[in-house]
Amino acid sequence: MIEQYIPVFIVIIVAVIFAVATVVMSKLMGPQRPNSEKESTYESGLKPIGTTNERVSIKYYLVAMLFIVFDLEVIFVYPWAVQFKKLYSQIGISIFFSMLVFLVVLELGFLYVYKKGGFKWD
Amino acid sequence: MTIPIEYYLILSGFMFLTGVVGVLTRRNAIVVFMSIELMLNSADLTFVAFSSYLGNSIGQVFVFFVMTVAAAEAAVGLAIIIAVFRNKKTVNIDEINILKW
Amino acid sequence: MELKYLFNSLPYIKPELILAASLVIIVVADLIITKKKELLHYIALAGIIAAGYFVLEQFSMNAFAFSSSGNKGMLTVDSMGAFFKGLVLTASFFVFLFSFSSNEINESRSKLGEYYALLFGMILGMFFMISASDLILVYVSMELVSLSSYVLAGITKQSLRNSEASLKYLIYGAVSSGIMLFGISLIFGITGSTNLYEINYILRSPETNRVILLLAGLLVFTGIGYKISAAPFHFWTPDVYEGAPITITAFLSVASKSAGFVLLIRFIKVAFIQNSLNGYWQLLPAVDWKTILLVLSILTMTLGNFAALWQDNLKRMLAYSSIAHAGYMLAAMAVLSNQGLIAILIYFAIYLFMNLGAFFVVMLISNKIGSEEIDNFDGLGYASPFLGVSFAIFLVSLTGLPPTAGFIGKLYIFIALVDAKMFLLSVIMVLNSVVSLYYYMRVLKHLFLRKAEGAPIELKVSFPNAVVLLMLVIPVLVLGLYFTPLVEFAKNSISVLGF
Repeated sequence: MIEQYIPVFIVIIVAVIFAVATVVMSKLMGPQRPNSEKESTYESGLKPIGTTNERVSIKYYLVAMLFIVFDLEVIFVYPWAVQFKKLYSQIGISIFFSMLVFLVVLELGFLYVYKKGGFKWD
Repeated sequence: MTIPIEYYLILSGFMFLTGVVGVLTRRNAIVVFMSIELMLNSADLTFVAFSSYLGNSIGQVFVFFVMTVAAAEAAVGLAIIIAVFRNKKTVNIDEINILKW
Repeated sequence: MELKYLFNSLPYIKPELILAASLVIIVVADLIITKKKELLHYIALAGIIAAGYFVLEQFSMNAFAFSSSGNKGMLTVDSMGAFFKGLVLTASFFVFLFSFSSNEINESRSKLGEYYALLFGMILGMFFMISASDLILVYVSMELVSLSSYVLAGITKQSLRNSEASLKYLIYGAVSSGIMLFGISLIFGITGSTNLYEINYILRSPETNRVILLLAGLLVFTGIGYKISAAPFHFWTPDVYEGAPITITAFLSVASKSAGFVLLIRFIKVAFIQNSLNGYWQLLPAVDWKTILLVLSILTMTLGNFAALWQDNLKRMLAYSSIAHAGYMLAAMAVLSNQGLIAILIYFAIYLFMNLGAFFVVMLISNKIGSEEIDNFDGLGYASPFLGVSFAIFLVSLTGLPPTAGFIGKLYIFIALVDAKMFLLSVIMVLNSVVSLYYYMRVLKHLFLRKAEGAPIELKVSFPNAVVLLMLVIPVLVLGLYFTPLVEFAKNSISVLGF
């Protein structure tokens, strides 16, 4: 089994050698004349503002939090959707409504967040 | 040609230990949380590995539930960290220490 | 499993359906009602009373719900489950009554809807935890309880104490549930199933890998031990109990602990049992649960009692005392017999009243003086003799002295231990009770024998609060003298389905 991966290994090795070689070569062979202008952070030619590890606004986390929850609930819809045709022929329309109940409860949560002002940025 | 089950188990064991060590040594609450997620993911990996090894799908169903629970936990965790941050202006768990002994 | 089984199982989960419906109603009502938030108190009370009605009919049920075959299922409905569901509901009933007059809750009135919705989420999770017989459901329901309680511990987020308690609870809880999940995944790997009954069936075959099973069992026990705050996993308890609003502390100390114990009982009695002889459970030789439980119970009660000696904050002291009580109940568990199980049930029923009562008195006093430090309680026994005397009764009962109910609880555990010839454990338990006498009596010394500094404080108990207090004091006194009905009731409620 391992033989099949030989081309992949070769590619990886070549890539690593190439990357290391270019960095090392330019360090060794290129001229080195550093000044303060060159050492400063590169920000597309503009003057850099603040440090690189700037804090993100806390509101970002609020939105991220809500996103995680409502995004991942969809995980239960996928298996249902994949099996829907088969289940529909076996059980009938009630398979549709059982998912609807789940989604309605989920939407209730969404509504609650909305009403409580969870999506307001300011 | 399949990868033996031991490989998965060793990997997930390492992931789990990484998570535990992360929880014990890191001081930033968010990083602690990421370590906890790593622990959950290692359990997920074990489930999926065993599930395909044993040829039954219960493990995969379990993983679905674990993923949702992990998301809910992350959301609650972030919310609580924000609440702490608003009060204390830090998320370093060494500095959060008014309750002790 | 076909959908038809799902619909057939609905009658078995009536209480849970009521609780879920109440949760949704409270969320909607919270959106609609903008002015009179007090209405939510009554909606919540109505919800648990309705659920209680349906729990009553479960005492005579013995069935698997959500099952495709007759001998296993996701849920077991049996009389032990019904007993503990009743316990959880009684605890939540009292906690809801406490919430009417809790300053901490009333100050953040706008959050009343969230408060009750989360409490209902927690009760719902506990119900599923109590009857779960499948590890998927065990994990999901435990997380439901945990997630709700993390938020509840910090619900009044104005104070730093609250949010800190919340964060600590969250980190400890998430780690222990992660560890437990890893254990579950190993059990799944060994047995290929997540159903406790099926696991038991497979573990009976001799070729199971004992080392991995021991590891998995210990990992799962970590998760459960965290819920019941057993010794090496108890670190969160004092911090959370001190930092959380006092109604939540009271609820966690009784309900959360009882749900955890049911899980422990089911996990050991269903998954690891070989057979039952004269009421003594013969466990599979794979994991030596008896030694594990024995060591942990000694560790838990000793640590809880000795740490409680140094506490100056009453909530923190009661937290350590609740750890010690978990140790006593673990001792009864270590007997691994039906008699031990009866003792646990009796102890929990009594512990409910005395512990909730102690927290209620602390809440009423700290509502007035705004502190839970023991030095601020000096001389308050005379400010309101009614409060003082009932606090004394609760503390005497927690110590386990006659003629209060606490004595009966300890007595039954003691009898179970002596019957099983576990003399060392019973001696340690008695010694521990002696230690606990010191710190409980210290509170009474402050209440009655110290002079209050400064102006005397007016402590008046309003009529509704007096009624609630009486509802807690009377059982503690009556059960201390006339306990036969409780014992009979417990004896009739120990049937765990299948064995």
